[in-house]
Amino acid sequence: MVLFNYHAGYVVIRLALAGHKQANRPFYRIVAAYNKRSRDGKYIEQLGSFDPLPNIYNEKLVSFNFDRIKYWIGCGAHTSKPVAKLLGLSGFFPLHPMTVTEAERRRAQAKLAETATGTEEEKQADV
Amino acid sequence: IILHNYILTLFTFQLGHFPLKYFTSFFVSHMYLHSPRAGAKPRFTDAAVQDVLSRITGLDLQKVFRPIKQELKPPTYKLMTDEQLEQAIQVATEEAKKQLQMPPVLPERKPINDVLAVDKILDGMDTAKYVFTDITYNIPHRERFIVVREPDGTLRKATWEERDRFVQVYFPKQGRKLTPHVLFKEENLKTVFSQDRHEDVLNLCLVQFEPDSADYIRVHEATYEDLEKNGKYNLLRSTRHFGGLAWYLVNARRVDGLIVDMLRRDMLQDAISLVSLFYMVHPHSESAQEAAGQQATGTDLLKVRTTQSGYIDLALQAYEEKAAEGSAS
Repeated sequence: MVLFNYHAGYVVIRLALAGHKQANRPFYRIVAAYNKRSRDGKYIEQLGSFDPLPNIYNEKLVSFNFDRIKYWIGCGAHTSKPVAKLLGLSGFFPLHPMTVTEAERRRAQAKLAETATGTEEEKQADV
Repeated sequence: IILHNYILTLFTFQLGHFPLKYFTSFFVSHMYLHSPRAGAKPRFTDAAVQDVLSRITGLDLQKVFRPIKQELKPPTYKLMTDEQLEQAIQVATEEAKKQLQMPPVLPERKPINDVLAVDKILDGMDTAKYVFTDITYNIPHRERFIVVREPDGTLRKATWEERDRFVQVYFPKQGRKLTPHVLFKEENLKTVFSQDRHEDVLNLCLVQFEPDSADYIRVHEATYEDLEKNGKYNLLRSTRHFGGLAWYLVNARRVDGLIVDMLRRDMLQDAISLVSLFYMVHPHSESAQEAAGQQATGTDLLKVRTTQSGYIDLALQAYEEKAAEGSAS
């Protein structure tokens, strides 16, 4: 029997940039592809989409085909970090530790910014 | 000439496809006809109620198959024998019955307030909300998981309006828009009603909203109120919305205008069936109990009703005079 589909690599579920002829408007497809393929090249199956720019209602739309994701994970597919973070945010996976770290870093930044503006206002009030 | 008209309308229907806009997948499958539970209040879907409503909707072929805005095609003429014409008319009545299938009347849906997780550690993770939709193909849209992660970390289920929007994004339905038409605002509705375009409004509403959403019920009630205020019942007469109108009026107990209109157009049978429907739905009202006591049928049913308002009395008298004149001459 001739094996047509032998690949030395493994399957990953990752984000592939779609519509890369459009500058400054990213849109990602969540895709099951072989590991060594190019990021935007031929994939095995599309499992969803991710729009990183928020819409008029301030929402970032993510779609997942959970049925097929379960199948590919059952077949031994790995997930990339951004996909793992998104799945963690959606509640399908447990929360990714980097999401928590990023949230903490943002809060620290926000606090710094607050204290900075606070001291500026004080200075202006003094003057 | 009348024969030609029928043939013309039959063939413009059969050749030109009816715009898919006005068929939603709800109605192509048959609506369940429930049998009534003993002693319970009759519902819209009961077989007896549906029977009455479809009878009073009427079946005016000329109106059902009137020319709609389609691509212009030249009409075809066929030469038929009388038998073939009758068969063609039967086929047309079957099609008309399918088109006159009534859209469902459901109680307003309860808002979704389900919170799946509260993660305070994620507070401030991003400035925007993340909306996760499940795109699995073979689940009904009502059971789909659509979940929102707020910037303060709470994971909650999406509200009904959000659900409608996202289902439309990923599984677009023809004719439906993401933001509803400007027509559905109050001021614009008034303008459209003054132009007598209630049927178009109701068709648009059917396509755009889910039957149990607040907007759908609001638009329908506004339309029915306006029709009842101006007595323009004939606009909806041979359309699929007539049953809904009749049901709304019966539940609001304001059937008098409709009965008078029917008597004026000499539709006695329809008036009788409407009154019997009223008694079915409100068996505890005075006139219902009187009628049950006297076991009235036919025109007597209407006369029992007249104890409540003089209008119907006058209308009945006028109808009987006309009938007498007609039989005399």
